Amino acid sequence: MKKKESAANVLYETAFAEYGSALEMLAACKQAIKVREVLGFFEHARDEYIHTKKFLSILKKQGKNLSNIIARKYKFVHIGALKKGYVSEKGYLIETKKMKDFVAYIYTNELIAEDEFSKILKYFEDDKESTDTIHSIMKDELRHHGMARKYFLKYYPFIQPYQLMIYKYREYLHNKGRKFYFKNFQILEKLFTPIYFSISFLVSLPLRLLNQREFSRINKNLMDISSKSLL
Amino acid sequence: MYLGISAYNHQSAAALINEEGELINYYREEQLSRIKGDNSFPKNSIKKLFATNSLKIDDIKNVIFYEKPLSAYLNPLKVAAKNLPESLNLISHQLKNFKKTSLFCFVDLAKLYPGLEQKLLYIDHHLSHTLSALAYAESFQNICSVVADGFGDRSTTSISFVNNPNDIRELWSNDYPFSLGLFYSAITDFLGFAINEGEYKVMGLAAFGKNDSNLYNKMNKLIFWDKNEKTIKMDLSYFEYHKNIYNSFSIKLEELFGSSRNPLEKLDINNNDFQRYANIAFAAQEVLTNILKELFIYAHQLTGCSKFLFSGGVALNSASLRSITSLSFVEKIYIPPSPGDSGAAIGAAYFGFIKNNKNNSFKRITNLYPIIFNSKSQYKKTIKIVSEKFQYLSKNMEESFLLASELIKEGETIGTLISNAETGPRALGNRSLICNGQNLEAVIKLNTVIKDRSPFRPTAPAMNESTAKKYFILDDALYNSYFSMTSTVVLKGNSPIKDYPIIHVDGTARLQIVEPNTTLDKLLLNLRKYDIEIIANSSLNISGDPTCYDLIDGLMVCELSPLKYLLTDNGLLKKLN
Repeated sequence: MKKKESAANVLYETAFAEYGSALEMLAACKQAIKVREVLGFFEHARDEYIHTKKFLSILKKQGKNLSNIIARKYKFVHIGALKKGYVSEKGYLIETKKMKDFVAYIYTNELIAEDEFSKILKYFEDDKESTDTIHSIMKDELRHHGMARKYFLKYYPFIQPYQLMIYKYREYLHNKGRKFYFKNFQILEKLFTPIYFSISFLVSLPLRLLNQREFSRINKNLMDISSKSLL
Repeated sequence: MYLGISAYNHQSAAALINEEGELINYYREEQLSRIKGDNSFPKNSIKKLFATNSLKIDDIKNVIFYEKPLSAYLNPLKVAAKNLPESLNLISHQLKNFKKTSLFCFVDLAKLYPGLEQKLLYIDHHLSHTLSALAYAESFQNICSVVADGFGDRSTTSISFVNNPNDIRELWSNDYPFSLGLFYSAITDFLGFAINEGEYKVMGLAAFGKNDSNLYNKMNKLIFWDKNEKTIKMDLSYFEYHKNIYNSFSIKLEELFGSSRNPLEKLDINNNDFQRYANIAFAAQEVLTNILKELFIYAHQLTGCSKFLFSGGVALNSASLRSITSLSFVEKIYIPPSPGDSGAAIGAAYFGFIKNNKNNSFKRITNLYPIIFNSKSQYKKTIKIVSEKFQYLSKNMEESFLLASELIKEGETIGTLISNAETGPRALGNRSLICNGQNLEAVIKLNTVIKDRSPFRPTAPAMNESTAKKYFILDDALYNSYFSMTSTVVLKGNSPIKDYPIIHVDGTARLQIVEPNTTLDKLLLNLRKYDIEIIANSSLNISGDPTCYDLIDGLMVCELSPLKYLLTDNGLLKKLN
């Protein structure tokens, strides 16, 4: 059961990652000016939406074997992309990065994604259909990587191969850093939980004394209540 | 100009009302960000309002936020504090996420447009809902407002008397955590659907349920109207939403109704447990409807009114409205096109207008399409996508409508992306997927193949007024809501259309009466010669995504689904291959 839950968790998170990418590409499509770029990002977004759907269909297949309590944790709710940080609350990458850096980001991340998906395969060794699906997604990611490279060669012909390598390793390190941070964050979260709970307990003591009647507006003209007040 | 904002809880939105009280522009954040249920600060919506209307900060007189942030923050914390130690994770979560609450609206606004935060006002959450309904009502005086939602900034349900727009007195309220909305959401969660997304699925599922008095009695113990104390009461031991961030219901609910549904399994009419889930949905719907009836009876006792405004997320429960209007004293119920939190941004903006309206002259908002867009603006941008993947069947609009009608006659589904988009969650024809509502195969294809929805969910019919009068029992009290698809109707006895696929299994339909000179009206006029008088209408999106906003979104729906035709301001497009 532990392995099944791990598989469900990986599929769930990967579906969010792909959904986040789809949203990023769609936003890039809307921001792009050159019609070729608009088409390119449009097709990329379409692929990422399809990948999301494929990962979710594998998750559904796997989910049938999970208990209801566990399965409920993996209910895909779109807003999760924001809450889990797959899309930044500050805005889409195309709004915060220059086009060159954005394409470099795609160039490296598609390769990283392909590498990550190869690790997912171990969960589905006995499931040929799911393995084939993931293989087809990996092919797509490599294709996207190749297209980003082509874009560079076309629009930035003076960029040297070593610069692309630098982009790649920079993003690779970023990714490792993110994972390291996330793992440590989880450990810290566990360590700090008793402290959080203690603070919460202390905060809740005065909160209990709050008089709910103070919130009451019965028989008051709601239009006349101070609109400067936060309460 | 008055800028209304709703954010941080459910769907975020921003609305712009001018000095004459007209809703001139409105955006729901989810349509722009493309994330269903986006509840973050609506920066995209506000930016879009500024860009579309060439606004400067000086043009905005007030920015009105739709709730009192400190009340909204403290009230659930206080309830959680009474439920220690189980609620420690909820309290801890609230404290850690302090920066993501509405208390930071001031800061977020200052970051987006420095200076605008100085114009920020905060109004009562239920007042925002009341005003969002009042803005669409035909009468502005002596009317009763009933608001029912999950949770506002203090209460979950309230009754107010609108003496005039400047004098709105709250007469009764029900405290958190006793909430009709949160009860229905917990049942939604129990039935395996996502909270804040799947409530309408429960409503659709309920039609398949059977009346089981034992189940009803059990459900009625969970939430009921206390006739003596005149309040909504709940047995909170069956729920956890007030003390736990992970679970909305407790293990006791599973002991009462059996196991909850695995959300990863598709719910199909042929599933073994389908009937059990449908019966639970039916009982929940019945209990909700009966409590709403009691609420309106009490509202009538308190105010003596026979005209009502009804808003808040629970007002989206269109199936309950017919029971309310069966009460003899109900003369009229006005439901805004977007009764939930996103629509409350309109109410908030309307507050600014009322407060600054020196002449005390009010006129009703009639604009049902305030989300400004025209696909012509993306004609050049999408030229490459269109040339590689689509072909224009016609670029002449009149001819495009004629061709679209012929395709509908032949059983095809057409996507529409015409001009401005609709206010509320219901597509009224400008962001719709439409087909011949009299053709079973076409409706099934639209519902299950193109939209990828569960077959148990109904598809709504759209028709002109005379056709609606011919086939359905129309309720005068709800007449306005038929134009924005916010209530359901029943068929007349022995109606010849009872077997049409747009009629739900319980003989009801969420009717849309088509307004003259709209997209659907033009199509219906063309379809007359083929004896088609009913169109099946669903929103232009793929299951789980927000309704389309612009042309690129529409083209994406075509790419991701078997939809072949898209009617746009640029002409009728056909997908290649």
